[in-house]
Order: sequence, then structure tokens, then C-alpha cells
Amino acid sequence: MRPASFPALPNLLRTTTFRLALSYLGIFTVSAVALLGLVSWSTSMFIEWQIQETVEAEAVGLSEQYRERGIVGLADVVAERSRADTERRAVYLLMNPEGERISGNLFGWPGEQVDVGGWIRFGIERLGEGRFATEVMARYYELPDGHRLLVGRSLHDARRVKSAINRALAWGLALTILLGIMGGYFTSRHLLQRVDNMSRTARRIVSGDMASRMTVSGTGDEFDSLAQSFNEMMDQLERLVDSIRTVTDNVAHDLRTPLNRLRSRIDVVLLSESDPEILRRTLEETLAEADNLLATFNALLTISQAESAQGAQGFETLDPARLAEDVAELYEPLAEDKGIMLTSRIETGLTVFADRHLLFQALANLADNAVKYTPAGGTVTVTVAQSAKGVEIAVADSGSGIAPEFRSKVLDRFVRLDGTRSTPGNGLGLSLVSAVARLHGASLSLDSAHPEDEFQPGLRVTLTFP
Amino acid sequence: MSEAEYQIPMRILLIEDDQEAASYMVKGLKEAGHTIDHAANGTDGLFLATSERYDVMVVDRMLPGLDGLSIIQAIRAAGNSTPVLVLSALGKVDDRVKGLNAGGDDYLVKPYAFAELMARIEALTRRTGGTTPETRLKVEDLEMDLLARTVTRAGRPIDLQPREFRLLEYLMRHGGQVVTRTMLLENVWEYHFDPQTNLIDVHISRLRQKVDKEFDQPLIHTVRGAGYSLRASR
Repeated sequence: MRPASFPALPNLLRTTTFRLALSYLGIFTVSAVALLGLVSWSTSMFIEWQIQETVEAEAVGLSEQYRERGIVGLADVVAERSRADTERRAVYLLMNPEGERISGNLFGWPGEQVDVGGWIRFGIERLGEGRFATEVMARYYELPDGHRLLVGRSLHDARRVKSAINRALAWGLALTILLGIMGGYFTSRHLLQRVDNMSRTARRIVSGDMASRMTVSGTGDEFDSLAQSFNEMMDQLERLVDSIRTVTDNVAHDLRTPLNRLRSRIDVVLLSESDPEILRRTLEETLAEADNLLATFNALLTISQAESAQGAQGFETLDPARLAEDVAELYEPLAEDKGIMLTSRIETGLTVFADRHLLFQALANLADNAVKYTPAGGTVTVTVAQSAKGVEIAVADSGSGIAPEFRSKVLDRFVRLDGTRSTPGNGLGLSLVSAVARLHGASLSLDSAHPEDEFQPGLRVTLTFP
Repeated sequence: MSEAEYQIPMRILLIEDDQEAASYMVKGLKEAGHTIDHAANGTDGLFLATSERYDVMVVDRMLPGLDGLSIIQAIRAAGNSTPVLVLSALGKVDDRVKGLNAGGDDYLVKPYAFAELMARIEALTRRTGGTTPETRLKVEDLEMDLLARTVTRAGRPIDLQPREFRLLEYLMRHGGQVVTRTMLLENVWEYHFDPQTNLIDVHISRLRQKVDKEFDQPLIHTVRGAGYSLRASR
């Protein structure tokens, strides 16, 4: 029985690992053939060289005999050596100047061409332990008196060594290829199983199981880092989905409540009222609520536009002093009505690269919050200044501030710290500021404006353009 | 003096493919005494725009057939200078700039209040009225000298801050018409943004202190659900 996870062979052949293993195998085979070919070639060269040495040594011996005892002595020695060669490896032939055989174990001139060094190669059939064909390598000498001498050796042994090497080479190659294919198969199967696991997990996530994660084997290999990256991606995605869900829930809540109010108001009036004046007033109140709903929608749209904006479209280089002065001027009467002193400390001549309208909207939101959350007799200060970190635009108030642990939370959509959702506002003001800051690459920080005051520490929101 | 005196009947072309929004606008504009032609797609719209004469055209940006900006470009190329109000769901500043560059005279982002639409249509017709630069504005006994930057009412000088002056100037230029808060923000402060509070109301009330307080007849009127209007009391 094959285990369930055993990949089918055609599947396996398609895997990258297996193809990789095959190509490595190909390279390895070629280099093994080259290496063994070199060994085989140099071995046979060595054997031939040895044979040449032997033949030449023998020729030296024979020439001594010839010098001491003349042609008769040479013929005797040749005959004797021919007889003594029981393994039938040596070849001798002594001929007179007329080309007739005098002595030796060869019956006639082999008829091959002699090469420059006096060497000659030819094939013969010999009767040894059974009849065998062999190649012979021989040296040809012409004696001073016209006699000719051929001394040679059979290449039989060299050929045997060579074929043994070739056989070993063939076996070795066969084994290499077999091991390579098997290795490729097993590593591929192993990797394929991990990849299969990954795609199974991915499919589980696709089918709705957002909590599913890749297994990390702990070896720290590429697959582990891939699985880790994937898991981190999924964590981020889950966070995003959660935040979208929260936003959707909040949108539903924030829009359903006033819609319900709107509906029941119309409902009640339709049922019981006939006084045209009351009907008219109700309609007007309803219109005001509808306008509030529209304002909330517009704020949401502006946030998503700021969040999805690509690059710096609509951006210009501008002096933040102008914007800050306009904001201060716009909110000053509102502050005064509430008994709040709105002042500004604005450094001119600085520049930021920004979308004029979005930045103004952000500053207006900050001023609006500051005036809203500062009690009568308090102060709101708008500042523009150059610091070491960049151009800082800040709005500070002397209200009750925001406790440090809630400071990042208020940047989320629809978060309102009083929890009652009863004060005017839609809980989108700071979310928009945050989105605008991100779009501009500016940093947004919230801290206490007057940390020394325990009860009214105030809030300072600073946008820093690096 | 009756309100009807300010409501000059207009011939309006509405090019809008959303049937429901269109019928609502047609009804509202008819009730205000205007004559409306409605085209539900770009090609019909362009045909009407080039073959009839209108006082104002209201053109949706996204239309089947031919898009709104192409229609405006086409009629402008033909030398037609009828004021055009562009309606669009695209509200980013550069969308607005594109709309105005194509030849639109004003740009209104959906969703909008009907009062806003009405006010802007009326403002458009007034805008084309006088082409020569005015040096003096007058509504009832309120007078503004644009060169000397002075304001008097019944001969008595009124001291205004620069912004208050611009606010009053805008209201006077649109005397008798309804001016919305958004129109004031866009034209007096020149920012496209949504104030979260009744900012404009506070500025208007300051202006009222100076313009209306010591006089029997108030000139600055609040139009519920819409905005303000500078005119004589009824």
C-alpha cells in the first residue's frame, strides 16, 4: 500500500527539485565520464610506454649478442627467447637482407608500414592457452649487414586492463545514475510533501479557516522561513480583516442609530400629528439628522481617500504658516464663544510638501477637538515651528487630555473615549488626522500639553514633517 | 418685497443617468419654478446641449455613452458658454480640478443636499450676469466699496475684519440667493473641507452683530436646512 501522501510519479517528475536533481546528475555523469576516460587513456598510455621500454631493453640485449657473436649468435638467441616465451607475449623475427626468415616466432613480415620512430603495430593470431587474436607493438631494426630484426610485445594485457577499466567505468556510471535518480526521487518526495502541506494549509485558509497556519519544522531552512513569512502575512491579514470588521460594525452602529431615530421620528409624527407646524419642524429636524449622516459618510470617504491615495498627487510646496493662521482665524470666534482663549505661535517661511485641502482638514479637526474638549477659561494654542526633527505643526489645549494608554486607540475609526457617543462628533476626527499624516509621511504624536497640571494636563497633537 | 422677485425662472438641462436622483431633482427644480429637460445618457445629453438653449446645465460626470467631462469639452469647443455644474462621486481635489479644467463652472460631490444643488445652480446664473468688474455693491441700504474696502449701512460706516469683509462681499454678490455653508468655505476661505461644528454660523453671527444689530431690518437671514441669504426682510 502506498501511503496517502505518496506523490504520484508523473507529479514527482514535474517537481523542480527532481528536475534539479536530474540536471545535477547529468553534470555529474559528464564529469565522471571525463575523469574515468582520462584515467583509462593515461593508463593505456602508461602500459604502452612500459611495453616500449621492455622492447627497447630487449633490443639492447640482442644488439650486444649480435656484436659479440654475429648474426649466428643473434639467430640463436632469438630462437631461444622465442621458445622461452611460454606466455606467448613476446614477438621476434630475424630476416636476412633478402627478406627470408632466419629465426623467431613470427612466420613472416607482417606487411605493415613502419612509422618514423621505427615502431610498427599489427594484429596476429596466436596459439596460447587456446587460440587468440592480439595486437602487437614492435620495434624494427636494420642491422649493419642488411639483416632485419623485429622485436615486439603483445598488447593483450594492456587491452585487458583497459577493458577492465571501461567495465568499471560503465558500472560506476550505471550506479551513479541509479543513485542520482533515487536521491532525486526521495528529496523531491520529501520537499513535495512539505509543499503539499503548504498548499493544503493555503486551501484551508481559502475555504474560510483564517486561523490555520503553516507548520514550521524548526530546522530553520528555506521552507521554514517561507512558512514563517506566510504566517506573518496571515497574521497581518487577520488583523486587517479584524479592523475592517470593527470598522464595518461601527459604521453599521453609527449609521443605524441615527437612521433608526430618523425613522421612528417620522413614524410617530405620521401616526399622531396633523398640526402642519409640528410636521414642518419634524421634517427640518429630520433633514438636520440626514445632514449629519452625510457628514459622517463624507468623513469616512475622505479618510479612505487619504488612505488609498497613491503618492503625492495634488501635493504642492506650501508655507504651513498660512494654513495654521487660517485655522486659528476660522476657529477663534468659536473658541471665544466658549470662553476659550485661542492663540497662535507661528513661525513663517517654512515649507512642507502637502495636499493643501487635506492638511487643512486635519488641522481643522485638531482645532475642532481642542475647542470641544477645553472647558471655559482654558486655552488652545496653534504652533508652527522648525525643530531638529522637521517642521512641527501642533495644536495644544488645556482640557483633561488623553491618558497615555488610550493615545494610540483614539486614532482608530469611530473611537470615542467618553463611550456614550453622546457628545457631538462622529469619532472620525483623529482617524482622519492619522490618515492624512500617513499620506504625507509625517509623524503624528499625542502628548500632554501641560504635564505639570495633574487635573487638566491638556493634549498636544503634533504633526512632524521630516 | 416678495421672495418670488429673486427667483428668476430658468431653463435647466439635467444630464444624469440615475433615474431616481434625476426625478427627484426634476421635481425639486420644477417646484422652484424652473423648466427642466432631462437626458439619461451622454449622447442624448450632448444632443440637447447643442440643439437647445439653456441657462444652466447640470452634468453628472459618469454617464453611459459619453462621459460628462467630454460633453462639457465638446460644448465649450463649440463656443457654448452656458454655465455648467458638474456632479460627481469623485471628490478628491484633483478630480475637482479636472472637472473645472474641462470647462465646468462648479463642482458638486455626491452625496449632496438638494439645497446645496439649488443654491449652486442659482449662484451660477448670477455669476455669468456681470462680466465687468464691479467697484460698488449695494443691497438695500447696505453698501460696499470694493476699492476703498469700506462698508456703510444707511450711511453709517461699519468696521469689518478682512475675512468678514470677504464674507459679506460674497453674500452681497449673491444677494437674494441662498448661499450654503460649503459655498462660503470654498469661496471665502478657499478650502475644501468639512467642518465638524457650526463654524460658519459663528462667523455669520459675528457679522450679524456688526451689520444687523443696530438696525430694524435684518439683512442676513438663515435659510433652514440650506444656509444664508442676504436680502431685505419679507
